[in-house]
Amino acid sequence: MTETETFRRQMPPPLQARPLNLPHHVENKLANGLGLVVVEDKRLPLTSVRLAFRSGDSNDPADLPGLSDMMSHLLSEGTETRTSRQIAEQVERLGATLTVGSGSDFTTVASSALAPYTEDVLELLVDVTLNPIFPQNEIDLARENTKQLLIQQRAQPNFLASERLSQVIFGEHPYSRVSPTPESLDALTRDELVKFRASTFIPNNAVMIIVGDVESDEITRRVEQLLGNWKPGQAPDLSFPAPPEHKSRKAYLVDRPGSAQSNIVIANHGITRTNPDYFPLLVMHTILGANASSRLFMNLREEKGYTYGAYSNLDARRLAGTFRATAEVRTPVTGASLKEFFYELERIGTEQVSAEELRNAKSYLTGVFPIRIETQDGLIDQLVSIRMYDLPENYLQTYRDRINAISADDIQRVAQKYIRPDEAAVVIVGDAKEVSEQIKPYSETIELYDTDGNRKAEGSRQ
Amino acid sequence: MQKTLQVPHTQIEKYTLGNGLRVVLNEDHSVPVVSVAVYYDVGSRNEREGRTGFAHLFEHMMFQGSENVPKAAHFQFISNAGGTMNGTTSSERTNYFETLPANQLPLALWLESDRMRTLSVTQENLDNQREAVKEEKRLRYDNQPYVNGFLRLFEMCFRNQANAHSTIGSMEDLDAATVEDIREFFRIYYAPNNAVLSIVGDFDQTETRQMVDRYFATIPSQPEPPPVDVSEPNEVALNEDVFPDRLAPMPAFAIGWKIPPRRSPEFYALSLASHLLFEGESARLYQKLVKGEESVVQIQGGIDERRGPSGLFIVVIPKPDRDGRQIREAILTEIKELAASGPSSEEMEKLRNNLFNSAVRSRQSSQYRAQQLAEFELYDRDPELFNTDLQNYLVVTPEQISAAIRRYLDTDNRVLLEIVPAPQEAAPAEPQAPGEPKQPTAPLPQVPPAPDDPTTGSLQAPQVSEPVAESA
Repeated sequence: MTETETFRRQMPPPLQARPLNLPHHVENKLANGLGLVVVEDKRLPLTSVRLAFRSGDSNDPADLPGLSDMMSHLLSEGTETRTSRQIAEQVERLGATLTVGSGSDFTTVASSALAPYTEDVLELLVDVTLNPIFPQNEIDLARENTKQLLIQQRAQPNFLASERLSQVIFGEHPYSRVSPTPESLDALTRDELVKFRASTFIPNNAVMIIVGDVESDEITRRVEQLLGNWKPGQAPDLSFPAPPEHKSRKAYLVDRPGSAQSNIVIANHGITRTNPDYFPLLVMHTILGANASSRLFMNLREEKGYTYGAYSNLDARRLAGTFRATAEVRTPVTGASLKEFFYELERIGTEQVSAEELRNAKSYLTGVFPIRIETQDGLIDQLVSIRMYDLPENYLQTYRDRINAISADDIQRVAQKYIRPDEAAVVIVGDAKEVSEQIKPYSETIELYDTDGNRKAEGSRQ
Repeated sequence: MQKTLQVPHTQIEKYTLGNGLRVVLNEDHSVPVVSVAVYYDVGSRNEREGRTGFAHLFEHMMFQGSENVPKAAHFQFISNAGGTMNGTTSSERTNYFETLPANQLPLALWLESDRMRTLSVTQENLDNQREAVKEEKRLRYDNQPYVNGFLRLFEMCFRNQANAHSTIGSMEDLDAATVEDIREFFRIYYAPNNAVLSIVGDFDQTETRQMVDRYFATIPSQPEPPPVDVSEPNEVALNEDVFPDRLAPMPAFAIGWKIPPRRSPEFYALSLASHLLFEGESARLYQKLVKGEESVVQIQGGIDERRGPSGLFIVVIPKPDRDGRQIREAILTEIKELAASGPSSEEMEKLRNNLFNSAVRSRQSSQYRAQQLAEFELYDRDPELFNTDLQNYLVVTPEQISAAIRRYLDTDNRVLLEIVPAPQEAAPAEPQAPGEPKQPTAPLPQVPPAPDDPTTGSLQAPQVSEPVAESA
């Protein structure tokens, strides 16, 4: 039976390729500067909306980390005409969603609804954006609950790793702050929230994107009615202290006694999202660690069994970025894992990648592209990124060509430029008494921290 | 005012190969993408004592090569073709799925058929994947606050070991797995007559049926696997327990109930009741405890949906100065109140709109459709339920919701687990043998609360999965 089935010996060739029709969009600008992008998508009776602002956590004053997060959270906790409870009930009674999220570079007010409720939820979205009143009792409640959640976060090793790494890499730059602090929460007043919203939520710093079962003309008219009178303002200043330079490798150990694993993050400074090296780095990242067939995963998990997964991360934001390699490994192989990480980080710069690896990485990136934009959320997230990072108008149309244009030389060039193991920050969250000795061969200096984020004295490693 | 809502009909074809493999197709040309799912009728419910964690360990082995596919090449073939893939294990089933550019459908069929017919099980692969699974357990369970404590809840709910133990299993049982065990497991459970293949997306049906025949028809069927006994007495196994957790920064508690199987009338009613109690910011318990009394930091709940007796649970993190007993009283009072007065007409409208919204929204994803079609065929031999099951929720009346709450939730037949922070020296966070219950939806606090992904419904079963990192 099986002996005769020679067709199974080889991977089958693909069928004829099927064309991808990128969705057509209509773009407008209101008189007050608000951008409006509409994509008619009639596959299902559904609509998704994003109102995105070019301001976010980076705009928090240095002594008030968390201001943008808290402002975003409190938008739906009361407006001039609706209480917090009424907003929640009205949204959920429509079977809709209305959420606000603040990231380091931009803030998004998002809604989704069945097509017959498109206008109802749009009106709610506009209300929480323009007319929030930040009731004092809701501020106090959010402050108290956020303080408790901060305590919870400190129990999560990945939070501790991200906090330490951001501080090390970004120094005084606002990207160094990944969460509010109990002090900033205490210091935060209603006045600050009102002022922050008024100064960052301005139409000339925002774009509204609508994807779904809508008529473009009709919804454009409706948006003009709802948002046409919104007054423009002065866009927030984006000049911040430069991140510090790193000229030697250094380790930062967050002591988490009893930890069952070590969280390892090895990082270098990266690039901004609009840097021309973005595409070569993206292809390099795919070869090195983007997925379960990349080098890091194949080495640390499939060959060595040190971890459940090892990956790289290309974090390119508006003003700066990082390139990172990460894994959670069992404590006794912390040192052995560092050895394999540094082996792979050296190799990507010293040896040219093979033609086959390059072809595979391109094939992956161009192939998953249509899968990513299959849903309204997938497509709208791409459209938001394009507008918020000021990417080219034809970004989606040219994405696959730009991937396919990358050569092995390009990869080696950006690897040598950005992957610098000798200048890396090595952050490890784990049990210091078990891992200190394992880290020493890979870093001459080790700074020790506790789980509250405070520096521990040298010699107190027990 | 209620609007007329509709869910577009999904065209479904179903047939069975001579060897018993059931095939479900949904042809849809809107995006040049194809999703393939293979569901095997084996999960932790099939594991006997001393062999916990086998179904999940085996899931890892399915990526370790077969006659014509080298070790770990499965990942490579899919990525290199521009696809994504994964496998997950729950109490009920083990699933494998990939989404690819539409013209790569032959690749998916080749890979899935090769491992269904000739998986290669070697000592080296077993040792390596055992380590990967142990790391997964450390990552998701042993190194996280609350998670292992919370696993205890299902041990307390279920008396039958088939239901009570977790999919991740115990380190001891994982260590005890031999190559012979794994081969035997493959022969019994990974047979075409114990599986469903679903294909969704941009393909030609005639061509696809021919390919399915070519790749799968000659795989021999096997005797039926041994029957599963998931029967349970009505009573929970243990009413109250305390779990010391050395990673927990503050106390938490969980309440759990045993509820009837999925697709029973009571299950539909209790799913809707749970939505009213704890889904979203307009939910009764959120409004009462987080907002009104301001007594809790977080409240989450969920339903563990199974073919046999299922579970419903609520997890609460009280504010530091608050008495857990008073909060529990408030929760039970609210449940009693919902049982007595029933849902309001506004709440019924909310349920209706939410049901339609999640039905429509989730249909956007070809992978979701492939998974749902395979699951309905595997459990119910009726993939048309993908179109019709919504109706089973829509016809539930307020009276039926009240009656189900009275019978299954407003009762002393429930479990209470208190999780208390423990010093380093205290008992390890790993629960005691035998076994642990299912992976919970652990309280994973985020500051500020992140927007929910609207495509993941509120009533999903917890499961163990293999994450694949996303690129930019």
